[in-house]
Parts: sequence; structure tokens; C-alpha cells
Amino acid sequence: MQKVSKLTIFLFLLPALLFFSLYMVAPIPLSAFYSFFRWKGFGERIFIGLNNWIELIGDDIFHKALFNNFKLVFLSLFGQLPIALALAILLAKKTKITDILKTIYFVPLLMSSVAVATLWSNIYDPNFGLLNMFLQTIGFENLFINYLGSPKLALYSVIVAINWRYIPFYMILFLAAIKNIPDELYEASKVDGASKWENFRYITLPLLRPTIINASVLSLVGSLKFFDIVYVLTGGGPNNASELMATYMYKNAFNSLRMGYGSTIALALFIIAFTFSILFMKATRKGDK
Amino acid sequence: MSKSAKLIVVLLAGIWLLITLYPFIFMLQTSMKTNMEYFTSSVWAFPENISLDNYLTAMNSGFIRFYLNSLFVTISSLVIIIISASMAAYMIAKIDFKLSNSVFSFFLAGMMIPIHITLIPVYKMTQTMGLYDKLTGLIGPYVAFSLPISIFILTGFIAEIPRELEEAAYIDGANIFQIFTKIIFPLIKPAVSTVAIYNLVLLWNEFIYALVLISNPDKWNLTLGLWNFQGQYGTNVPMVMTGVMLSVLPLLLFYIFLQEKVIKGMTAGAVKG
Amino acid sequence: MKKSLSLILSISMFLVVLLSVSVIAQEEIVLWDITTEAESELPVIQDAIARFEADNPEYTVRHVPTSNDDYKTKLQVAMGANNEPDIFMSWGGGPLKEYVDAGKVMDMTEALKQDDWIERFVPAGLEIARFNENYYAVPITGMRAVLMFYRTDIFEEVGVEIPETYEDFKDVIVQLKDAGYIPLSLANKNRWTGSMYYMYLVDRIGGKEAFLNAASRDGGSFASEAFVRAGEVIQELVDLGAFPPGVNGLDEDQGQSRQLLYADRAAMYLMGDWAYGLIRNENPAMLENFSFFRFPVFEDGKGDPTNLVGSPGGNMYSIAKSSKHKEAAIEFLKYLSDETAAKQLVDLGNLAPFRGVEKYLDDPFMVDIYTALNNANYVQLYYDQYLPPQIAQAHLDTMQGLFGKTMTPEEAAQMMEDEAQKYFNEN
Repeated sequence: MQKVSKLTIFLFLLPALLFFSLYMVAPIPLSAFYSFFRWKGFGERIFIGLNNWIELIGDDIFHKALFNNFKLVFLSLFGQLPIALALAILLAKKTKITDILKTIYFVPLLMSSVAVATLWSNIYDPNFGLLNMFLQTIGFENLFINYLGSPKLALYSVIVAINWRYIPFYMILFLAAIKNIPDELYEASKVDGASKWENFRYITLPLLRPTIINASVLSLVGSLKFFDIVYVLTGGGPNNASELMATYMYKNAFNSLRMGYGSTIALALFIIAFTFSILFMKATRKGDK
Repeated sequence: MSKSAKLIVVLLAGIWLLITLYPFIFMLQTSMKTNMEYFTSSVWAFPENISLDNYLTAMNSGFIRFYLNSLFVTISSLVIIIISASMAAYMIAKIDFKLSNSVFSFFLAGMMIPIHITLIPVYKMTQTMGLYDKLTGLIGPYVAFSLPISIFILTGFIAEIPRELEEAAYIDGANIFQIFTKIIFPLIKPAVSTVAIYNLVLLWNEFIYALVLISNPDKWNLTLGLWNFQGQYGTNVPMVMTGVMLSVLPLLLFYIFLQEKVIKGMTAGAVKG
Repeated sequence: MKKSLSLILSISMFLVVLLSVSVIAQEEIVLWDITTEAESELPVIQDAIARFEADNPEYTVRHVPTSNDDYKTKLQVAMGANNEPDIFMSWGGGPLKEYVDAGKVMDMTEALKQDDWIERFVPAGLEIARFNENYYAVPITGMRAVLMFYRTDIFEEVGVEIPETYEDFKDVIVQLKDAGYIPLSLANKNRWTGSMYYMYLVDRIGGKEAFLNAASRDGGSFASEAFVRAGEVIQELVDLGAFPPGVNGLDEDQGQSRQLLYADRAAMYLMGDWAYGLIRNENPAMLENFSFFRFPVFEDGKGDPTNLVGSPGGNMYSIAKSSKHKEAAIEFLKYLSDETAAKQLVDLGNLAPFRGVEKYLDDPFMVDIYTALNNANYVQLYYDQYLPPQIAQAHLDTMQGLFGKTMTPEEAAQMMEDEAQKYFNEN
């Protein structure tokens, strides 16, 4: 195709580069810088070399948080994407009903994180909550489930809320991708007498592959840096049972006034997220060739 | 499709409908209770007397102003995001220039940054630019923070556009800018609308930057205004729900509106292979 | 005639312009605190501002309230970027000291000594903002005491009396439990709620020295006997089934602890005196069924039975060292602590930490609290306010471990001690 001048390329990239560079470039190098200090976020900074990093490597809570993040990655990926895809396929046909459904299904994404957390806090309330009340009415009177207070269940209860909240996003992402698939392909296969399932398997799915991969990257990164719903629902508790890297970082940086250590955690989070997403994209790109 | 398969589909759709609709109804009905009723009868019960008092209180506390502030910041940011992200995505997706991978990775890295460590640097930058405690001061960070994911999504969609379309236009004498505005952009409308909706929702509900960069109650956006009902020792839950309702309704309307527009746009100028 | 008229007109116009210019050129004092719409004290702040501005037209006060938890983050970031407001609020103690040590807070000692302004305040309230012999904040709202609220009607129904000692307390708990009630309502997702039990226990068992010596690193330790025993007692109570099931997942902010009381499922509630205001707001019909008693004593304990856990100063207001309006700010704080403000606070059910405030008290509940506070030989400021934040957080973290029995009392105490050692080694 034509050669586009370097100037043109630069001009097209300029607005995005400008905003991004002004605000987003500084934080990572700065965090790296702060990670070598003991600092409260204000006042004096004391140089301590690699101490924060040494502490991080041996920090049990950080290990637990990291492990929780990976659980979240896995359960989000397989909890959100398939359901979102199913919903998207369901809604792909434009009818009055699908239009209404599309709107209602979107509601979880519209609410703020705090609203979502308030809602689920009430659903999970062991004494008055919807879930336990529901269980009681269908006969499990003695079954008392401690969704948020049990160290074993807390993380999974939160993950359910997270999945509920973000499925609509992937749903509209997949919907947009499905819309791009030309109708002729389906018409042609109809002539060949293909079933709905074959349509899905041989037309829809392969053509959606790039979008599914992108959605997976988004889900992966989002899960690794996840913060708000967890922080409001459990605070990372009980006793760090549902701790994530981002909540642990926030607590250290802002609650314990250990900005230096918090920066260390943040940088570690960044490196982990970056590494895994690059690896993931490389691995899936090989499939494309 | 077989009858039983159809049944399963309907069942699943119905369950999902319940799971998404009921919470909304719960929030709506809670917003119409008084704080007293919330605590004295069951949390799940329908309000005995449907009361719109909470809404009146919210309106009186300056909600209109909060709305306008949120609207200003969100729409401004959105416009800038869409334009700058699609332009950048086009370059990265279609033009094979030397640094295209590096630029993509550069923006991608932005997706990995946890928002809280940007607080102090962004605060300082905003102050330096003289934009502290100004609504326009929020636009910069909002755009910057939303760009990575927007570029990522748009790049993915633009990459799928067949090369032939661009080549045909080029042969017809179009320059790169015309190709972008007349060919590419119309084709990615569904993706753009997805990105627009996602960012809209995110920025509309955005809290932490607003908390840190805005001070004057006159400049409060919706999320800060909502937070007024959170007390030191106890929360007025019905009031918070009222705030949530007032916040969600415009978003819902915008979403419906956008859907309509996008559908029209799609059927009007859709490309056939 | 026309000439003099136009002259008068021009002069008046000139004066109007001059006046409006001087009105425009007002100095702005920025005030950050947590008095949002949800806080009952808001009218008092607003009134003080109005009165101050009326008497000092060259100044205007911009009040920026933020809700509790987010307030701390907002203030920290502003401090970190050297853009703190003129006046800011804190709860005194360790967190305030951090700002003092970083050179951010104005020393108010001189201002307090002038005209005996210092006499206005309850001494204990000033103490929690006193570091290195100097004062860095003044207490403005709410002396607070943590009390054991209880349902008088449930006690009557089950036939139990107010317990004096810990042994009595255990009996009461067992009897309530047998009658099908949750003895102690507690929402411990927030951790500071469980901490109230812990703090009282340490005080009752080891006396105030147990904590004070550990906090000042003066021969004491957070892993000492009193702390371990406090943890053991908590777990003893957990084993007795005294607390609600799922206690670590219940949210105090949403009132999930009080809901149990309102639903007649729980009988007692250890909480700060603000609970009275909350109940009055949420379930006024049930208010008459509530009363309170003081935390039980240990027969073999060293603690003074009159001691209370709480805050002698409530919300404290400080002035930033970087403020360009220090004198005006002091003036404003005087309005915030004068007789008018005192009376207004009391009317709102707030025990203002000013001397002589008792003459305004007529609500019997408030009189009771005031008496308890007055008679207390010592008021233990909540650990998470007294201690440096780093140690405070470690302490709070152990609370869920204790109540959920995922930590032994020794582990919990040791964890807090370890964090303290780490902090003081580094500082």
C-alpha cells in the first residue's frame, strides 16, 4: 500500500501519546524509585536499598495475595467469558425481546463498585441475606453459610460478585464482534444444510478468535490488578483470606503509611501483569500463524 | 434447533434475567424506604409506603450541579478518548511502521498500572499545570487512564478490516486521513460504541481521582456528591441507594440511545464482503 | 443640580466598585473534615463558619467534607504533594503525630496560652494532641465512651442481671444463649469493632500500664501477659457462642450488627456512645428498651474499674504549618469552640469536649455518659488512634484472626509486638 509519511504517523499518534505521556509515564519509574526508600507518603524519605524487595520475597501475605490473584484470573476467565459469549450469541439476532434483554443484562456494569459491594454484602449477610433466606425457604434450614466471614469461602464469594458485575462488558464486546461477521457466510452454510451448532463451531468461533483472545488479555490484566469490589466487600479479609495484590498494596501505602513498601508491591504487580500478558499474547499469536 | 435445546436456552436466559434484574429492583425499592424502615423491617421487603423523600433530599443537596459536573467531565473525556484512541489504533493496526510494536507495548503497559500508585504523581502534575481543584483537571487523567484499554480494543477490531478496502480507496485517490474518516471509522462503529460505553460507565462512576483532585464542593461530581451520605459511624443505606439510582438512570438512557444509533448506523452503511 | 447629582452618582458607583472589589478580594481559609451530610454535627460547623465570616468579612471559609475512610486518603495525598489545606481534622494520637513529625502541623501552644484559650478545653482532650510538650490540635466534637449497650426487655425476659465481674458476664452469656439469643452482637469485618473488646480486656486485666508501657516501649510489650490473656478471653467467648455466626463477614457500616438487635435476635452491643444516636435514627421505637452498663471487671485484674475505652477529644482540628492564614484560622477555631457551638453540639446529642458543657446537658442518657467520662480515672484512646498507623493496622489485622480463631492469642500478641519493634527500630 502507499507509504505513509513518518509525520502523518506521528500526528495520528500524537493526541494519545500526549495525554498518556503526561500522566501515565511517570508513575512506574517513580514507584521503582520509591521502592528503594522507606517513606510515609509525606515527609522524609530514607534510602534502604533493596530491603523492601527482600521483604516482599519473604512476605507470606504477598504470596497469598498473588495466589488469590491467580485464582481470580482463572475463575474470571472461565466464569465470565463463556457466559458472556453464550449471552452474546443469544442476543445476536435483533428482535424486540433481545433489545430489552440487552438493556437489562447490561445493568450490573452500570452500577458503581460501591453499589455492587453494598448489594452483595446484603445478599451474603448470613443472618438476613438473600442467599441464606433462599436456602431456608427451599428447606435447608440448618445450612448456615458464612460467605464473607469464612476464610475458605470469602474469596470465592467475592469472585461470584465480580463475575456478575463484569459479564455484561464481555457480552457487548462479543456482540460487537459478532456483528462484524458478514451474513453471507451464514446464508451460504444454510444452503449447505449446516446446523446451528456447526455454524457456531465452524463460522462464529473461528472468526471470533481474535476477539476472544483480546477479551482474555483484558480479563487477565483486570484480574491481576483488581481492587475495588474486594476492598469494599471484605477488605481483603478475614485475616487476608481474600487479599489481592492491589488491596495489599493500598493498605500498605495508605493505611500503614508504608508508601515505599506499597510502591514495591505495585511495581511487582506491574511486572507480573506485563510479563503474563506478553507471554499470553505470544502464545496465542503462534496459533494464528 | 431441537425443542429441548430451545427450552434450555430460554431457561438460561430467564435465570440470567432474574439475576440481573432483581438486584436493580432491590436497589430501587430500598431507595424508596426511610432509614428507619430499612432497619426495622426486612431488608428485602417491599416498602410499606413508597416514599420519594430520599429523592427530594438528594435533589435539594445540589444533585443537578453534580450531574452537570459529571456530564461535562465525562463527555469531554469520552470525545477525546474516542478520537485519540481510534487514530492511534489505526496506525498500530494497519500501518507497519518501525516502532509499531513498541508503541503498542507502551500503551499496553498502561493497562497494567494499578491506579493507586498514580495518585501522587498525577496530583503533582495536575498541580503543576495549575489544574488542581478544576473540573478540566480531571479530563487529563481520565483520558490517560482510559487510553490503553481503548487502544487495545480498537486495535483488535481495526486489524480485522480487510486490506482491500483501504487499497481500493487509495487507488481512488483518497489520502490517509480520508481513508481513516470515511472507511475505517464507520466500519468500527460497534467497537467504538463498545469502547464508548465502557469508558462512559467507568468515568461516570470514577471516584479516586475525583476524591484527590477536586476539593470545592461546587465542583463535586456525582460520585463525590453521593458519598455525602456515608457517615463516620453509620450509613444511610436507602439514601445511598437513591444516589445510585440517580446515577444509573442517565447511564441506562445513554446506553439505550447509543444502541439505537449504532443499529441504525450498522444497517445503513454496512459492508458486504 | 445636574452636576452635583452626577458627582454623587459617580462617587457612589466608585464606592460600590471599591466595596465589591474588596469583597471579591477575600482571603480564603480551606477547611477539610469529615462532617458530611450524614454527620449530625454539620449544622454546627456551618453556623460557626457563618458567624466567623460575619464578624470577619475579609475572610471566607471553604468547608470541604469527605466521608470518613476516604478522608484519610485524600489528606495523605495532599500532604504528600505539599498541598494541604489550612485547617484539617484528625482524631489525634499516632496518625496526627506522623504529620507533626513530618513538620506539617502548626504548634498551637502559644495560641492556646493566649487569653487562656487553653482553659476552654477538657485537659484529657488536649492531651491526645500533645507531643513533645506542645499542642498540635484542639478537640472540637464528641468526647466518646465505649459502653455495653443491652436490651433491658430481653434481660428481663431471660431473667439476667447486669454483670459486674467477668464470671457474672459469662453466666449471663450462657443464659442468653440457652434462651436462643445471640449474646453479643458484633460486626467484625471492619476490625475496629472487635478491637473494642480487646482493648477493654487488656485494660481490665493488666491495667492501663500494660498498654501504655508497651506503646511507649518503656519496659512493656504487646506480647505480654495481659495481651495474651485478652486474646484467650475472646476465644473463650467465641467458644461459648457469644458472638453472631459469620462475625468476621458482618459489616458495621451497614448496621448488620444493629439489625440483629432490632430483629430481637441479639441482646448486647459493645459500641461507642454514638450508637445511641444511630438507634434513635434507625429504630426510635426501640430506644426505650436500650440501656448500658460498663464493661465487666476481672477479680484478679489490675485494671481500674472506672477506666473507659473511648476518646476524650473526638474530632480534633489542626492548622497546617504551611497555611498563610494561621491567625485567622485560630480565630475561626475559637468560634468553633465557643459557648454557642457548645450548646448546639449538646443539642445534637454530642458531648462537646469543652469545660462547663455539663450545664447544657438535659438528656438523661448524655448525662450518664458524661458522668461516666468524668468519673473515669483514665480514658484509653482506641489503639488504632493512639498508635502509629503501621502498628495500628497490624493490631486490627489480628482482630479477625482472634475472632475467627485462625490465630492463637500468642500469635496475635506476638504479631503486634513484632510490628511495633519493626516500626520503632526504623523510626
